[in-house]
Amino acid sequence: MTLHSNVSPIRQAISLSSDSDLVIETHGLSKHFGQRKAVDALTIRVPRGSITGFIGPNGAGKTTTIRMLLGLLRPTSGSATILGKEISHLRAYLPRVGALIESPAFYPGLSGRKNLEVITRLGGYPGSRIDQVLEIVGLDRRAKDPVRKYSLGMKQRLGLAMVLLPEPEFLILDEPTNGLDPFGIIEMRDLLRGMRDQGKTILVSSHLLGELEQVCDWLVILHEGKTLFNGSANALVERRSELVVEAADAAQRDLVVGIARAAGYRVQLLNGSLRIACPADWASELKLRAQDAGATDITISRREASLEESFLAMLKGEH
Amino acid sequence: MLRAFRSELPKFSRWMVLAGIPVMVAVTIGLPYFALSRALTSTDTPIKNLPQILPTTQGLITLLSFAQKFTVAVAVTMVAANLAAEWSQGTLRNLLVREPGRLRWLWGKMLALLLFVILSTTLAIFISTGVILLLAGSYGISTAPWLTLEGVGIFFLYLGNELLGLVGISLLGMFIAVLTRSIGIAVGISVAYVLIAEDLAQAVWKDGATWLPVHLFDYLWGTESHFSMGVPPMGYGADLIVALLWMVGFVLVSAIAFRRMDINA
Repeated sequence: MTLHSNVSPIRQAISLSSDSDLVIETHGLSKHFGQRKAVDALTIRVPRGSITGFIGPNGAGKTTTIRMLLGLLRPTSGSATILGKEISHLRAYLPRVGALIESPAFYPGLSGRKNLEVITRLGGYPGSRIDQVLEIVGLDRRAKDPVRKYSLGMKQRLGLAMVLLPEPEFLILDEPTNGLDPFGIIEMRDLLRGMRDQGKTILVSSHLLGELEQVCDWLVILHEGKTLFNGSANALVERRSELVVEAADAAQRDLVVGIARAAGYRVQLLNGSLRIACPADWASELKLRAQDAGATDITISRREASLEESFLAMLKGEH
Repeated sequence: MLRAFRSELPKFSRWMVLAGIPVMVAVTIGLPYFALSRALTSTDTPIKNLPQILPTTQGLITLLSFAQKFTVAVAVTMVAANLAAEWSQGTLRNLLVREPGRLRWLWGKMLALLLFVILSTTLAIFISTGVILLLAGSYGISTAPWLTLEGVGIFFLYLGNELLGLVGISLLGMFIAVLTRSIGIAVGISVAYVLIAEDLAQAVWKDGATWLPVHLFDYLWGTESHFSMGVPPMGYGADLIVALLWMVGFVLVSAIAFRRMDINA
């Protein structure tokens, strides 16, 4: 009998040891548009130094939440702090935040450089930052072209350049890989990891769960304006992991099925192997019970659920 | 506010904005020239007694006033379109996360827009004045009264009042843009209001309409042509005071609305 662990993507071990480790903290944050509750008593915590995935189906309240955090929408009720400052004190934290909200918006008749110049003058940033950020996002050679001639991917890069202008501690990126080609997506992923390694905190809202899975170490999952999950990516994956049992024959397989069901776990037969939805550490217990029952020729391995599987299971109410 | 003002300056380098200046110059020359040539070649002049007015100290400003309505339409369109575009293009959210003091941003932007309107109008009027002086001489009209101390004083008073009226019109454009938040709607409403709505109001409510903003701003110029309202019936002082009250009203309502509104753009 053997035990295997199938652990995927590289994630930082993130934990919350104190409130000062938090970049975002909300308490009962709500936004109602008439009778519709776009965000409903949202309470979330995002730790410093993480790449946090902000996930939810369309209309879940992600963009509304981001807009409230940036002072563009007025919350109906509740409170929130960003970098330790109340969101009512925008001047105390916005200069330390870089934000890209929804699809990036520009003045199409102005060049990429002029668009950055508008933001640089408004934010009071040094003009030398323009060349630096253009180089970071790889737009230095097209900087003089009018933005209306840019591809969607180039606009996305220019949006990111805009976010980086103030050298922010905290970045909020809404669909940053939208319109990027596969190479652009890989570059963006590396860029995000690089910024995290420099100590920056990044909140990424995206529908590309596969992408988020590769970079995020913290997750906030929303559905219909409420929080479904707020915690480390590892915690979610462990919560949704399952044991895969290969048995030498049908008799031994039936014994394992009986043991798992008796313990209250859901069992599925898939391509000849058993999938048991249970905590990963139950593997050793299963192994002992199977041996006692006479199922000695089985292989148990652990399989992590993908973020997509976990997300869909949560939406269906399978916790 | 100064940073917001400075951040607006690169936006004026767009060709669509810059193209407005030669168009304005061309029209401020073209319409007075049309009036001048009609006054001398036809009995059906734009103003009944224009040939008699031309060789007086009022001659120059009477000709210049033929371009007034156009200048007003350009100013209100420029301000309403430029401001509403920040919502329509979605650029407003980029700006307000850098300058969360919404009123500072709005005043900075309006200062830049007003400066643009004032400078481009002044430039257009001076070029137009030069051309009219040359043309009038060639048509044999005596321009000597225009160049007397009194004539020059009247010209500068007219220029000051025109610029003041354009500030009022621009604030009306701001007011409409802040409330409508859409380029198409803001420009449509602004132009329709300035060119049509108050004239219609005057047709059904003659006395009341004289106190409406476009009438009052126009009266400030105090000149008479097919394209202007003429001398203020309530007197210049009352006109000026109520016009200023309208401007303050536009500023206050815009400020309250903009400060409180959600930015969904």
